[in-house]
Amino acid sequence: MTENETSVVMLGPRDRLIGELYIEGNLRVSGTLEGQIEATGDVDVTEAATVKATVAGREVNVSGQVNGAVTASKKLIIGRSGSIVGDVRVPRLIMQDGASLSGNVSMGPKVAAEFAQAAAAEAAPAPVEMAAAVQSATDGETAQEKAKAKKR
Amino acid sequence: MDTQQAVADAAPHEANEDGVESRRDGANKITLGPGDSLDGKLNYNGHVTVQGQAQGEFRVTGNFDVGNGATVKALIEGSNVTIKGDVEGVLTARDKLTLGKSAKLSGDVTVKRLQIEDGASFNGHVRMGSFEQSSGS
Repeated sequence: MTENETSVVMLGPRDRLIGELYIEGNLRVSGTLEGQIEATGDVDVTEAATVKATVAGREVNVSGQVNGAVTASKKLIIGRSGSIVGDVRVPRLIMQDGASLSGNVSMGPKVAAEFAQAAAAEAAPAPVEMAAAVQSATDGETAQEKAKAKKR
Repeated sequence: MDTQQAVADAAPHEANEDGVESRRDGANKITLGPGDSLDGKLNYNGHVTVQGQAQGEFRVTGNFDVGNGATVKALIEGSNVTIKGDVEGVLTARDKLTLGKSAKLSGDVTVKRLQIEDGASFNGHVRMGSFEQSSGS
């Protein structure tokens, strides 16, 4: 599955993003981020990063500051310099000594099953071939995101 | 000098033999084996290790360990709390809470430090940092 990812987005230490971000791929944040982020791949929040956003990804790695809810469909790793203030929803959670977390934690097989269901539900209505999906995904997903934003 | 030192050395040993409570840091230890069970309220000056079943309210000055295969349904309060078994209840670790890879914890925790190993399962609220003593109640 990892090989299918199309993009890697990096935000340097002096970069800033305020708004809503959706990525088909991986994200690495070292700067400031506010709003909402969702990546189909892995999200890496480095030590220098300040994130005030809801974060969703497959594997989320936090070594910096995150203020907001975090969901990971595979697992969440909070490094020793990492800090999360917000609710966490993950099937697997690894927390190193020194890491900080304040919020509600939901995890385990139940959560994993929910993610699997969600993934299946997303995949079912759009049985597009992978090659075509890469092209159309950008347009399709932004439209979806806009629709989501409107609902909110 | 030698005799004085010898006297000084001897004194704490005597104290140890006299009173079990003389050691603050928990030289005392209770271990509940895999077949043991405890139901009730325990205030203990020392370390507690549970490998069997325990239910109730446990406040210890030292460490509280829940072994692999143990089942604990209780209010737990200790310095270092290490969990490798099943725990349900409100938990306070004055220093550190460690969830081993076989741990299953469900309940709200208040801790100073928290370490979770891969494979552990946890559901509940975490409060960290600014620590309040709640042992008065």
